[in-house]
Amino acid sequence: MITQNMINVEHLEPSDISSQSPLWWGQVCIVAIEATMFSILMAAYFYVRLSVDVWPPPGDQFPHTLLPSIALLPLILSAFGSYWASQAAKKNDRTGMLLGMGLNIILATVFFVMRIIEWHSLNFNWQTDAQGSYVWAFLGLHSFDYVADLAFTIVLFFIVLSGRYAEKQRLGVHVDSVVWYFIVAIWIPIYVVIYWGPQIVETQ
Amino acid sequence: MNQTEPIPNSSEREAQALRDLENSWQTPRGMIGWLSCTTHQAIGMRYIVTAFIFLLAGGIEALLIRLQLALPNNTLLGPDRYNEIFTTHGTTMMFLFAVPMMEGMAVYLVPLMLGTRNVAFPRLNAFGYWIYLAGAIFLYWGVFTNTAPDAGWFSYPPLSGPAYSPGKRVDFWAQMITFTEVSAMCVASELIATIFKMRAPGMSLNRIPLYCWSMLVQSFMVIFAMPAVMIASSYLLSDRTVGTHFVNPAEGGDPLLYQHVFWLFGHPEVYIIFIPALGFVSSIVTANSRREIFGYPGMVLSIVATGFIAFGLWVHHMFATGLPQIGEAYFTAASMMIAVTSGVQIFCWIATLWTGRLRMTAALHFVFGFIAIFVLGGLTGVILASVSLDVQVHDTFFVVAHFHYVLIGGALFPLFGAFYHWFPKITGRLMNEAVGKLNFWILFIGFNLTFFPMHILGLKGMTRRIYTYGSEMGWELGNILATIGAFIIAAGGVVFLINIFLSRNRGEIAGDNPWDADSFEWAAASPPKSYNFEYLPVATSRYPLWVAASERTFVTGLRNDRREVLVTTLMDAEPHHRLVLPRSSLWPLLTALAVTIGFIGSVFNAWYITYGSILTGLAFVGWFWPRLPVETKP
Amino acid sequence: MTKRNGEKGAGLKGAVFCAYAFVLFDACAGHQQSAVDPAGPQSGKIAVLWWFFFGLLTTIFLIVMVFTLLTLTRRGHRSGQEPLNASHLPPGADEKELTRIVAAATIATVLILFVLLIASVSTGKSISELGDKKNGMVIEVTGNQWWWHVRYWNDDPSQMLVTANEIHIPTGRPVMIRGMSQDVIHSFWVPNLHGKRDLIPSRVTTEWIEADQPGIYRGQCAEYCGLQHAHMALWVIAEPQAKFDSWMKHQLRPASPPGGPTGERGKQIFLNSACIYCHSIRGTAAGGQTGPDLTHFGSRRSIAAGTLPNTIGNLGGWITDPQGIKPGTHMATIPVSSEDLQPLLEYIEGLK
Repeated sequence: MITQNMINVEHLEPSDISSQSPLWWGQVCIVAIEATMFSILMAAYFYVRLSVDVWPPPGDQFPHTLLPSIALLPLILSAFGSYWASQAAKKNDRTGMLLGMGLNIILATVFFVMRIIEWHSLNFNWQTDAQGSYVWAFLGLHSFDYVADLAFTIVLFFIVLSGRYAEKQRLGVHVDSVVWYFIVAIWIPIYVVIYWGPQIVETQ
Repeated sequence: MNQTEPIPNSSEREAQALRDLENSWQTPRGMIGWLSCTTHQAIGMRYIVTAFIFLLAGGIEALLIRLQLALPNNTLLGPDRYNEIFTTHGTTMMFLFAVPMMEGMAVYLVPLMLGTRNVAFPRLNAFGYWIYLAGAIFLYWGVFTNTAPDAGWFSYPPLSGPAYSPGKRVDFWAQMITFTEVSAMCVASELIATIFKMRAPGMSLNRIPLYCWSMLVQSFMVIFAMPAVMIASSYLLSDRTVGTHFVNPAEGGDPLLYQHVFWLFGHPEVYIIFIPALGFVSSIVTANSRREIFGYPGMVLSIVATGFIAFGLWVHHMFATGLPQIGEAYFTAASMMIAVTSGVQIFCWIATLWTGRLRMTAALHFVFGFIAIFVLGGLTGVILASVSLDVQVHDTFFVVAHFHYVLIGGALFPLFGAFYHWFPKITGRLMNEAVGKLNFWILFIGFNLTFFPMHILGLKGMTRRIYTYGSEMGWELGNILATIGAFIIAAGGVVFLINIFLSRNRGEIAGDNPWDADSFEWAAASPPKSYNFEYLPVATSRYPLWVAASERTFVTGLRNDRREVLVTTLMDAEPHHRLVLPRSSLWPLLTALAVTIGFIGSVFNAWYITYGSILTGLAFVGWFWPRLPVETKP
Repeated sequence: MTKRNGEKGAGLKGAVFCAYAFVLFDACAGHQQSAVDPAGPQSGKIAVLWWFFFGLLTTIFLIVMVFTLLTLTRRGHRSGQEPLNASHLPPGADEKELTRIVAAATIATVLILFVLLIASVSTGKSISELGDKKNGMVIEVTGNQWWWHVRYWNDDPSQMLVTANEIHIPTGRPVMIRGMSQDVIHSFWVPNLHGKRDLIPSRVTTEWIEADQPGIYRGQCAEYCGLQHAHMALWVIAEPQAKFDSWMKHQLRPASPPGGPTGERGKQIFLNSACIYCHSIRGTAAGGQTGPDLTHFGSRRSIAAGTLPNTIGNLGGWITDPQGIKPGTHMATIPVSSEDLQPLLEYIEGLK
C-alpha cells in the first residue's frame, strides 16, 4: 500500500560509531547491572562490618596498601589506551586502534599481575570468615569482569590486526571502552573499601 | 523530519523489493533453522508457550497443596513432599512463569508497537530464551529426581544453609535463579535499547504507547533489582558449596542480611510482574473504549513513580524481625504511598471507561475483573503496610490471600485479557467471545472462592507453609471452600485451552485490525510477516492508526536485501542512521549450552565456573567473529 | 446487553455483601489463636486498629467498585457503535471536569493514607510503651526445631525456671519475651496476646506481651522452620498473680518422687535408657540439654509442642513411634519393651 507520504532514509549512514548506536545502550545496561551488583556488595560489607566489634576478624591481616596503590597507575593509564582506541575507531584509523588497544592490553596485564601478587599474599581465604568471603568475592568478581573484558579486547585487537573488519567491528572497539571505563572506575571504591576500610575505621 | 516525496509507481520494482524482504527475514527451514532463529515473533512465542506450560505446572502444584489442606490431619502428602511442592509452586510461578511470560509478551509486541522489525539485539534475544529454558529444565530435573527445593520460594538461611538443608535441593533452586535472572537481564537490555533507539520516526517520548512505557520502566527495574537476587542466591550457593560465610552467623555472616538483599530484589520483582500488566490494561481499555486514554502524562508519571518507589519498600517483608521503630515507620509510609501511584492509574482508567463507547469484549471483562481483584488486594496491602497489623497477619494465610489478589488480579487477569486481545494478531483468528466471557466468569468466581476465605483463615491464626492442621482449630470451612475454588480455577484454565485450540482452527478470520485499535501492531498483517511491515510506519500522533489513512506516512529507502532497520534519536525519534541486524545464527544456542555447562556443573564442582567461562568465551568469539564478505556498501 | 451489565453489577454487589457479612460473622466469633479475639492490651490495640482499617478500606473498595460498575451503565454501548468522534476524544469541557475529579480522588487517596499512617504509627508507639511499666518480668524463649525452650529470667540463678512448650504468666503484668534461636529462624506468635516476633540465631529479639484476664492461649511458630513447622505450637496460660506464684514455686522444685513401685521401676527404666542424653529431670541424674526439660512434664497440656494432648495413651504412642506422629522430629526412637512401657509412662506422667 503506497501512499503519497514517504520519508526517504536512503541517505542515512548504514551504521554509526557513537553513543547513538543501540549497542552503546546495551553496554550501558551491562555496566548498570555490574555497578548495582558491586554497590550492593559494598553496602553488605559495611552492614556486616558495622554489626561486629572487631574488624578485621581476629587472625586476618590488614590488607597491605602499597602494591595495590601503585597498581592504580597502570590501571588508570590503561583507560587512556581504551579511549585512544575508541576515538580511532570512529575515524577508521587502524594504527590508532591497534596502538590504543595495545597500550590498554599491556597496562591492563601489568595491573593484573600486580593484583595476583597482592592477592596471593593475603593470609585469609573465602572460607576463613565473613571478611575473607567478602574480600575474595570482590577480588574474584572484579577479576572475572576484568579478564572477560580484557579477553574481548585482545580478540578485537587481533581482528583489527588481521584487517578483517568493517563498521560493525569498529563499533565493537568503540563501545568496548564503555565497559573498560567502568571496570577501571568501579575498582576505585572497591579498592578503598578493601584496602583502606580497615585502616580508616580501626576497631581492633 | 525531512523531505517527503511521492514514490514513482513501479509495481515490478515493488514486487521485487517485497521478495527481497521476505528472503532477508526468512528463517531457514528444518531443525537447524528453528534452533538458529532470531526473529522476535518466534522467540516471543517460545517464551509465551514455555511460560504457559509452567503456569500449568505451578497450577498442578497448587491443586496438590489444596488437596492436602482441604481436610485437617490429611495424609495425602507427608511433610517432606508438601514442603517440596509449596516451594516449587512459588518458585515456578514467580521465576518460570510470571517474569518470562511478561518478557515474552514484550518481545513479541514491543517491536510491532514501535513500528520496527525486530529487537535491537536479535541473537541476545535467542540466547536469553535458551538460558531460561535451560534453567527451567534444570529445576524440574531436580523436581522429578527428589531434588526439588524445599526451603520456601525465598529460601531463608540458616534453614536453607548447609547445616539444615543438606543435599542438592536448595542448590538447584539457587542456580535456577541465576539462569532466569540472566535471561531477564538480556531481555531488559534489549528492550531498553529498542525502545530508546528504534522507535518509528515521529514517535517522540510523549507518543510512546503506554504498554511500551511500562516495559521501559520494567526493564530498568530488572536491571537494578535482579543483581540483588543474584547476590542473595550466590551467597547461599557459595556458603553451601565452597564454605563461604556470607550468611553463616558463626563466622560473622548474617541471616538477616540475606533477607535484606533478597527483598531488595523481591519487592521490585512483584512490580516487575505487575507493571507490564498495567500496560496491557491501557491497551485494552483504549481500544475498547474507542477513546484516547485519559490523563496520558499522569499515567506515564505514575508508572515511572511506581518503578522508583518500589525500590524503597522492601523492609515491609521484615517487620517481624524487630527492626528499629523509626525505620519501620518510614517503610510503612512508603508502602502506603505506592498505593497513590497505582490509584492514579485506576482513576484514569475509570475516567476513560466512563466517557468512552464501550465494546464489552472478553478482554474488557478481564479488565473489569482486574480492577475488582487488584483493588481489593491493594487495600489489603495497605493493611500489611502498617507494622502493628502486619505483625499479626505476617506469615499467615492473610498474606497468601493478599499476594494472590494482587498477582492474579493485577497480573494474571490482565494477561488473560491480553491473550484475548492479541490472539487475533498472533494467529489471524479471533477467539470465541462467548466462551471467553464464560472463561472470565469461571476464573473470577473460582479465584474469589479460593482466596477470599484465606483472609479469614489468616486472622484466625492459620500460619503459612504448614502441611496440616488440627480439627480443633476451626479452619476447616475456609480450607474446603478454597479447595473447591481451586478446582474451579482449574476448570477455567481448561476452558481457556479449549478456546485456544478451537479458535486456532476454526476461529473467525480477524483481519489486520479487528478491534479498530490505535497502535502500530494493528497495522501489520495478522499474523505478522517476519519483517512486520513492508514499509516502516511514521508516527504522526500518539494514536497513529486513528489518524486518517490518507495522512499516514511511511519510511522508504531502507535496503530490503538485508535485515535493515532504522535507528532514531532518543527524545524526538528523528531518523538518525540505518542498522543492519544479524540473520539466523546458531551461536546463541551454542553459547547458551556453554553457559549451562558452567552453571549446572558448578553446583556439583566449583571448577566448572572456570570450564564454563572458557567455553563461553570461545562461544562469544564465534558469535562475534566477523563474517566475510564484510558489508561496507551503504 | 443492559440486563447483563445490570446483572453483573447486582451479582458483584451481592457477592461483596455476602463476603462482608461472612467476615464479620466468622471473625467475630471467639476463637483460639485469633488476632481479632484479643485478650491483652497489645492485641487489643491492634484489633482496634484492624477494625478501623477494615471499615475505612472496605468503604473505599465499595466506592471504587460502584464507580467502576457505573461505567457500564453510561450511555448505551452496542458493539459496532461509532467512536466518540473522529478525534476519539470527548468534548473539552468533559475532559476538564474529569481532570478535576481525578485530581480530587488522588488528593483524597493521599489524605486517607495519611490518616491511616498516623493511626498506624501511633498504635505502634503505644504498643512499644508497655515495657515502660515498672512491674515487668522477662522470659527467654529459644526456638528449636520443633519445640520451645523456656527460661524464666531471675537475678537469682537458683530461681530461674527452665521448662518447655508451655508458658505461664501472671495476668495484668507486662512480660518481655526475649527471643533467641538455637538453629534456624522461628517466630513466636500468640495472636490473642500480640503480634509475632522472629527468633533469629545469633540475635536477640524482644517483645512485650500482657494478658488482661486469665485464660489459655494457643500460639504457633510463624516462620517456616523445616519439616515439622506445622507442629510447633505452644500454650500460654495466664493466671492471677497468686496462682502464678504458687505454680512457679512448685515448678522450681525438683521432680516429685514416683508414687509407687511401678513408678519407681519406670524411673529406673528412664535413667538407664538413652533418654537421659537429651532430656533433663531435675533431682535425678538425667541432665541432657538438647531436648525439652521433663521435670514437671506431667503438669503440661500437650506433648511435642502442641502436637498431642498430654494423656498417658498419647505419650505411649509418642515414645514408641515419634516418627509416625511427627515425621522428621529429632527425638530418637528408643526401643522400649512392652513390659517396660507402662511403668515408664506412669513415671513420666507422674512428674507433675
